[in-house]
Amino acid sequence: MSASLIIPTLVSPVVVSLFVPAIFTGLIVGLIGLMAIAYQKNDLSALILTDIVGIGMLILVAAVGTDLAEALILPGLVVELAEILAISEILMSREMKKKGKSAELIPLPLSMDMEVMTTAPTFLAIILIAYGAFLSGFTGGAVAGGGILVYVLSKRMRGVPADTWEGIAGVSGIAWCLWLVGFLLFFVFPQYWLLALFLAAFGIFIKVAFKAGLIGVIGREEFSKK
Amino acid sequence: MDITILGQQLLGYIPLGDIVLYLAPLNLFMFASTLAFTTIIAISKTETQVEADFGTLKDKEVKVDQKEFKIRRFLAIVCGLATAGAMITGDLFNFILFVCLIGIVNIGIVAAVKQVDVLDAAFQYGLVAMIAVLPLFGGAAMILASAGTISLLEIVNIPTTFMMLFGSLLLFIGVAGETGVAPFYATKAEMFRTPGSPFLLIIHLSSLLVIVRVIEILLIINKPF
Amino acid sequence: MSRIGRLWNSLATPKRIPRFYSVILGILLLAGFIVPMALNDHQLYPRPEPQLQVSEKDPLAPYDRGGIPLKEPGIVRSQYPQFSEKAGMVTSYMSPIAIGVSNTTPYYGTSIYSSPGGLIDEILYYSRGFDTILESSILMMAFVVASWVALNFTMRRREEE
Repeated sequence: MSASLIIPTLVSPVVVSLFVPAIFTGLIVGLIGLMAIAYQKNDLSALILTDIVGIGMLILVAAVGTDLAEALILPGLVVELAEILAISEILMSREMKKKGKSAELIPLPLSMDMEVMTTAPTFLAIILIAYGAFLSGFTGGAVAGGGILVYVLSKRMRGVPADTWEGIAGVSGIAWCLWLVGFLLFFVFPQYWLLALFLAAFGIFIKVAFKAGLIGVIGREEFSKK
Repeated sequence: MDITILGQQLLGYIPLGDIVLYLAPLNLFMFASTLAFTTIIAISKTETQVEADFGTLKDKEVKVDQKEFKIRRFLAIVCGLATAGAMITGDLFNFILFVCLIGIVNIGIVAAVKQVDVLDAAFQYGLVAMIAVLPLFGGAAMILASAGTISLLEIVNIPTTFMMLFGSLLLFIGVAGETGVAPFYATKAEMFRTPGSPFLLIIHLSSLLVIVRVIEILLIINKPF
Repeated sequence: MSRIGRLWNSLATPKRIPRFYSVILGILLLAGFIVPMALNDHQLYPRPEPQLQVSEKDPLAPYDRGGIPLKEPGIVRSQYPQFSEKAGMVTSYMSPIAIGVSNTTPYYGTSIYSSPGGLIDEILYYSRGFDTILESSILMMAFVVASWVALNFTMRRREEE
């Protein structure tokens, strides 16, 4: 057993001495974001500036410097991202209603008609999904989701049935249920913790992957309009 | 665990690892009333508003169509369940996540309307809810740093420091922003104009109950008596 | 009196609320600079000194918490050990693929490779599992709202069909 394996009962003095500077950094970052929001006049820049306020929050949580703080950062980050996702869509919807014009969902400066997207989508998707399954967990889900995204976006050339949305959403929902079963198993039958762990880890893999796939379906619908 | 919180004897607790939900009479009462209200909402139909114009006899009916009705009912039920959960959770961080869930679902309930004013109010409310993430999580982090725990059942026995007081002030202003109480009510008042009661009422009920609950939590943390 | 009335009236405009809120919050944050602060060193889930495991060339650095997969639990100091009887088992677990990868590289702990098991999974799935359920419910609700608005309004898909 090496010395590194000794987990101290107290937080190490380095972290304690860094706590006050870290908190002050967080407060200053938060203040910069808040002042900017108080000064600006544009709704879109207010939305982007709230991200800076969110970073201030992450610094305040990280200042505690324990494993628990590291685990608590993830919910904070996800809440921030989720709210940006929903609110930006509302802002778009409001602006479209106000001006009576529609806009592209993903405004790209270049056309998506690249040769790679017609010749190799299946190959790319399989590589990405296999690598994602190997990584597993949240990052694996993101990688595999990228694979599905590429596949769905490029498949529009050959035409995907219109009810792909419902299908992918359904699979995502089933993965969600598997995931919750995994969590419940931890508490109800702790002796099956390994099964619960695998349900939780691969549930989140499938869930994240198919969420990215859903974004791809929306994007494809958008492109096929032209 | 034999613990008294704010003079109430605990009737029981539901342990989920480090997160322990506790059942005290006040919390159980609020939990049950939220669930009852959510059930009523789940089985009821929406109202129809009538917009009257001055000087004419043309009254316009504002109805909620089937698709909109379905998503609103779903979000209203989620909001009710989140409020019920926030009533009995015994963990500070868990409570904050419940409040954030209530906030995002509230935005969703009004996101489907066609009035530009209402959408604008929903957007501004969303901005406040996003800014409120800083005091909510930051306040919890301060309390964690000072007390060494975020379980309310443990914080009861820990003497209050100035840092915990500051953390709980942050927490309070965060909940005030996320639920849209005075003086930040304007964004929410605008949201009530949209057709679609009784689903809109859950927005109101959830913010009332969350405020009651956050006051209980602040009393637990700061122990003024 | 009229000035207070004007203040109340200005508060009734939704557009002013985010600014008003950020000013109030900013004032409160300024107060944070004069509040005496110190980190209580009795924390849950403490970790070793920063860079200690890295400089020892531990392949699992900085997430090594001891234990043998499936046999011996790792070291975790949770809030209520009596409520999680298998605490530490998830921390020490590594899948066979993960063991293979960690034998080849000294940077396993900091790679994006996330096997089932490990410290963060222990906290996120087991001892604070309910937080993770809520967190992803928030993400799901945001996704429901955003995709509903996108499918019905911003993309105008219904009108085309």
